[in-house]
Amino acid sequence: MRVEYINPFVESAFNVMREVLQADVRRGELFLKSTSMPVMGVAAIVGLAGDVEGRVLFDMDKNTALSIASTMNGEDLTTMDELVKATITELANMITAQAVTKLHELGFRFDLTPPAIFTGDNMEVSNQDVEALIVPMETPQGKVEINVAIRERA
Amino acid sequence: MSVQASDDRAAQGQEEKKERAEKIDFKMVTFALAGKEYGIDIMNVKEIAHAGRFTYVPNAAPFVRGVYNLRGDIISIIDLRVMFHLPAERKEDNAQESLLILQIGDHVFGVVVDSIDKVVGVARSSVQPPHPIFSDINIRYIKGVIENRDKLYIILNVEKLFAPAKEEDESRDAPIRPTQGRQAGVQEPAPAETRKPSADVNVDFVREALWTLRRFGVTPVNEPWFKARYDAWKRERSSGDIQLKDEGDADQFLSGFYSPHTGELWSDDYADRVLAALPVIQARGINVWNPGCGKGYETYSLACLLKAKYPECRVKIWANDSDLLAISMAPNMVFMIEDVPERYHEFMVEGRNGWTFQQAIRDSIFFEFHDVLNANPVPPVDMILCRDTVSFMTEAEQKRLLADFGEKAKEGAALILGARERMPLDGWNDAGKDGVSLFVKTSR
Repeated sequence: MRVEYINPFVESAFNVMREVLQADVRRGELFLKSTSMPVMGVAAIVGLAGDVEGRVLFDMDKNTALSIASTMNGEDLTTMDELVKATITELANMITAQAVTKLHELGFRFDLTPPAIFTGDNMEVSNQDVEALIVPMETPQGKVEINVAIRERA
Repeated sequence: MSVQASDDRAAQGQEEKKERAEKIDFKMVTFALAGKEYGIDIMNVKEIAHAGRFTYVPNAAPFVRGVYNLRGDIISIIDLRVMFHLPAERKEDNAQESLLILQIGDHVFGVVVDSIDKVVGVARSSVQPPHPIFSDINIRYIKGVIENRDKLYIILNVEKLFAPAKEEDESRDAPIRPTQGRQAGVQEPAPAETRKPSADVNVDFVREALWTLRRFGVTPVNEPWFKARYDAWKRERSSGDIQLKDEGDADQFLSGFYSPHTGELWSDDYADRVLAALPVIQARGINVWNPGCGKGYETYSLACLLKAKYPECRVKIWANDSDLLAISMAPNMVFMIEDVPERYHEFMVEGRNGWTFQQAIRDSIFFEFHDVLNANPVPPVDMILCRDTVSFMTEAEQKRLLADFGEKAKEGAALILGARERMPLDGWNDAGKDGVSLFVKTSR
């Protein structure tokens, strides 16, 4: 993945999460991965098109999702209902959109697809031939892994 | 160290080796048992070690001290002194014992001796048959006696010595032994079964140390350099000091390995040599793949080189490295103009903080944070620049990457490896000269 793409995603993830959660958010060490990986339970996915092709996946476990949705909505949510899903989808959308805006300023043209959300147990994502950058974020609500896989359109 | 000097040394080392090899055809590791000197054929010795605190095995023969975990493999430890009813001083429980790790057939086990001396090379013809009065050890187990520098060595026949015990051992050893160590299976640069036991035990230690300390895998890619360097190293160091103890030693060992101008822009001289070695490119667009570009100095150097030589061509360089810190700096590198060799000046512009490469050069390079061991999404390329990167992988990884080079390279494409590296696979012609290690892909 091009070096120029890394920072916008890391920065916007950090900024947006800190803003919406009003809490101390910490970023873990970035790393690359290309094997299939388990999904913790809730995954929001945003597709990218334009100069590049790829996707951004936001992965967290169910409790983290509920806790984040509760904080963002200012009420206590305990079941994985429509509101929770809509909130997580919105979070994914906000982070990706801000990153794409930053990239646009740098001269890269990206388009977004509407986010989709997946929930369930024992899920796995595999696209073996695409290498993903993992940005782990530690929040008081739990761990969120942002999984960015982008490649240049050949 | 200059290239010339290391080459000379290499040549010298090889000559010396040849001379010795004519006279010496038998090497043994010598050690002491109860004050007497013994030797064991080096081909049976896997390594030497110091260890203690063996795990006691109940109900085993008295000469079995226990079992020991040697980097993931469980081996049994036999005390030779007890086996031969020689006096052995009883050490404290956690004291370190001198161990010879022997390999006989498929069996690996450790042998405790009083002290290990050195490796002695002798002529096989000068080994004398054993005589009963020589030793306290049953004559069946003695291969012969030899005199070397006023010392008399008794050469043990370890195959015979441990053969009868093998059958009983098997039942005990078999269930424990198959603990194929993770390290042995995955991490070792060259699996033990494919590697011939070296005549000099230290070679294997140095190889292993290079991998542990600096992730440098000695393989056919860099074997010629390694051999020459090892010979030079042996001469530099006193005999007891050959092994690499820490990162400092490993760096010193590798000091001559790196290609010219690692971590800086290429000098005029080196750039000209690369140009001279490169085949002429006819295509209108030149695609280059530069794995392991580090901070990007070599990428910029090559970009300027190609721009100057083929001004009409569209040059695209896919440069990648898995070191995030290094590669993050690459796209926005700033220079002091005094530090930049003359030939790059025409491709640079002055900015607020210093000089940078002009947009046209920067646009021709994609710096990517990418691990080459994952899928490589590069299009077919006319050139691959990969200096001093392949060597820092396991042998299996190296093979995979080199095979991928073959996949991605167009016919007639040039591959530039590190100055001390070779392309061991078929399908590439060596076209290197003047210290540039260059290979051209042949048609299938």
